[in-house]
Amino acid sequence: MISQAAVARLRDMLGTKNVLSEPEDLLTLGYDSTPELSGQPDVAVYPPDLDGILTAIEIARDEGLPIVPRGSGTGLSGGSVPVSGGMVLCLNRMNRILEIDEANLTATVEPGVITLDLFNAVAEKGLFYPPDPGSQKISTLGGNVMENAGGLRGLKYGVTRDYVMALQCVLPDGSVVNTGGKSVKDVAGYAFKDLLVGSEGTLGIISEITVSLIPPPQTRKTLLAYFDTMPKAGEAVARIIAAKIIPSTLEIMDQATIGCVEEFAGIGLPLDMAALLLIEVDGHPAVVEEEAAAVHKVLQQVGAAEIKLAGNADEAASLAAARRTALSALARKSPTTLLEDATVPRSMLAETFTEIERLTDKYRLTVGTFGHAGDGNIHPTVLCDERDRDQMQRAHAFYDELYEKVLAWGGTVSGEHGIGVAKRDYLARQIGPAGIAVMRRIKDSFDPRRMLNPGKVIAEK
Amino acid sequence: MTDIDKSNFAPGDAPTYESVLQCMRCGFCLPTCPTFALTGRERSSPRGRVALARAVHDGKLTFSEALKEESFFCLDCRACTTACPSGVKAGEVMEVCRSQAQQFFPGGHLSQKFRSFVLERMLPDPDALEKSMLPNRLYQRLGIQWLVRHSHILKLGPDWMEKAEGMMPKIGEPLRQQLPEITPARGEKRGRVAFFLGCVMSLMYGEVSRQTVRVLAYQGFDVLTPKATKCCGAPHLAEGDRETSRQLALHNLELFLKEDVDAIVTDCAGCGASLKEYEELLEGLVPHEKLEKFRAKIRDVQEFLAEAGLRSEGLKPVNTSVTYHEPCHLCHAQGVSKQPRDLIKAIPGVEFREMNESSWCCGSAATWGLKFTEESQQVLDRKLNNIKATDADHLVTANPGCHLQLAWGLKQAGIKQDVLHLMELLGQATPE
Repeated sequence: MISQAAVARLRDMLGTKNVLSEPEDLLTLGYDSTPELSGQPDVAVYPPDLDGILTAIEIARDEGLPIVPRGSGTGLSGGSVPVSGGMVLCLNRMNRILEIDEANLTATVEPGVITLDLFNAVAEKGLFYPPDPGSQKISTLGGNVMENAGGLRGLKYGVTRDYVMALQCVLPDGSVVNTGGKSVKDVAGYAFKDLLVGSEGTLGIISEITVSLIPPPQTRKTLLAYFDTMPKAGEAVARIIAAKIIPSTLEIMDQATIGCVEEFAGIGLPLDMAALLLIEVDGHPAVVEEEAAAVHKVLQQVGAAEIKLAGNADEAASLAAARRTALSALARKSPTTLLEDATVPRSMLAETFTEIERLTDKYRLTVGTFGHAGDGNIHPTVLCDERDRDQMQRAHAFYDELYEKVLAWGGTVSGEHGIGVAKRDYLARQIGPAGIAVMRRIKDSFDPRRMLNPGKVIAEK
Repeated sequence: MTDIDKSNFAPGDAPTYESVLQCMRCGFCLPTCPTFALTGRERSSPRGRVALARAVHDGKLTFSEALKEESFFCLDCRACTTACPSGVKAGEVMEVCRSQAQQFFPGGHLSQKFRSFVLERMLPDPDALEKSMLPNRLYQRLGIQWLVRHSHILKLGPDWMEKAEGMMPKIGEPLRQQLPEITPARGEKRGRVAFFLGCVMSLMYGEVSRQTVRVLAYQGFDVLTPKATKCCGAPHLAEGDRETSRQLALHNLELFLKEDVDAIVTDCAGCGASLKEYEELLEGLVPHEKLEKFRAKIRDVQEFLAEAGLRSEGLKPVNTSVTYHEPCHLCHAQGVSKQPRDLIKAIPGVEFREMNESSWCCGSAATWGLKFTEESQQVLDRKLNNIKATDADHLVTANPGCHLQLAWGLKQAGIKQDVLHLMELLGQATPE
């Protein structure tokens, strides 16, 4: 619990509107997008700047309060859920784009900047920020960095970590560390910056981010391919990669997902197809032509039921936008959507889909599957009702068994959503006791008093 | 399956558990919500509001004063409904919460009296409502308005009073008294429609609806305007009086279903949305087939003409440029967005200029713009900037609430564009 005196002190230092403690505020800052998870903070603080963060940390330290950093709360593993109460540090009012440096091709932002806002701001200057999480309209850069968010262009362009050049980070003892810089090459010392990216708020609070930018692709082409089975679509993905073509986007949706997305977006997707691949190739016009033709050929060879070319940029954009709604659209069908973030080597995609189908039957569940097939990053989503205990148990058993296979195939338990609370047990399974022990030592060296986002990534003992 | 006993909602109208459970908290609604944009406060976002309603159901929160505030702070603009892939209707959840608010916090004796007088006596009675406008007409005709406006006396009162006075358009004779019961089709007859004349349209924008009827007739439709039409019930829903709203809905439903018409048409986006939602409001009170039959006939006039196909022969060119503000209750509540643009583009001589964020609320939202004058101004300013940037001659819209707010806002800001209802624009192109 936080003392009234501490709340008053916070209000004094940061202003009334930046410190919230009414039950209605605390209740609505206790969740993110992860089903079945919520907590309740003791206080919520919106620091306006770096000094605000320092003040908040100091008072949290005095009060012995855990600190849970939060952006827009779009996380899918519970990274920003205050499971043990404490202070939620809402960074979404720190939302200024501080600099777009055209000479060095970098942008420096505060952590609360919305991903799409940065994308648009740099696009105006003829530049390209490639990471594009499905929630790009809502998620913050700070959240992206903390969860090392992926997205629809991960296949060709990589994920958030690949673009973070420098971070300003506040440690729980109040020291401010600057790591990285605008130099393209930098091998000085430990890769501290890379460790912070994806640390899910357990090592430090990010107060400033510098990302690298690249020139945008000159042109792009979008293809849609339909298949009569999911494994066949998986086979097509593996064959495209094996043909040494790296599309910028290579997304998959199963029939259930297509149906829900179509019901919401109404863009004319067929409802009778078992699987859809959304493929985009981009780059130099000549290369795009050649690669699109090569992809087309592979799709034909694998036996696509239908192959379509998006008519124009608007049509391509509406397809990508529709794909981004997949998870939320699936929520039309059931009150709870329990999704996973399984990622496998791409040669194992067809087997993964076969396994998902087998387990769906075995556990008598309804599952919608979609994801970034080109990365091998799949989101099988159980459509369930959290009030039905038996069904929820079967859903968790489904994932337990699926992950056993995924790990045996050399896959990972999280491609882009992070571990948070929801996937801690799976992480322990993936990296083993020695792996957890070294993570614990790293955590303790940054945060010896274990104030920062306790219970995330690795369980508190 | 839910433990109903835990719910802290009062008996009677309450959001269903399913309607709040459907939210999976993805946040797609956040960037579309004007009140979240204003405050950056999660509880003032659709996702947050639904979470609060769920917490009341789960017994984790009582129906507090703060929840009452949130339910009325929501503009009910429904932008979140359009954005929500999961099909959550946060605006409607808050609309229902407003009736809960009336149960938990009924207010003092005097405000209850005033409330029941306005909602239960005045609004449901068109004759009384028309009489109530008489003082306003005298106020304008006798020059008192001129005096008041030039004396700055209103600066002494609350902000809403000055704004309300400033918004008032010139009040004429109520249109309901003037429109014939049947306006015959011109040219080759294409059908027969009933016109649902809204209260604000009749009292404040009579000229707009006169044009609507004239346009419909020119387009080949017999237009029936029942004199016994009562208020659609939208103001009651907005104030949390669902019971009176149901009574009005039942009256209008019976009245209009009696008529043998192809469609029931309105030129007020608010009325249209309300009529289309009678189906949900009256569920269980009226046989479902009847509700479906009624629902199937309701059309916004823009939607209706786009469906019927605009008869363009004989239309006179209107050489001007226009931009279009989408009323929330047209684009979000009714999903009518493309049709008005198509109509505008079909009018000869008109140059259409798309504005940025055309479907962002103007900040009017029934009485919201008067209750939250400062916040309303901020929402409006964002809109005015977008309107101004188009440099179009006219701003076209299709709802009296937006019309009042935008006309006032443009005048205050000294921006040259004037406001027209789309039917007025089409009226200019339609020969006498």
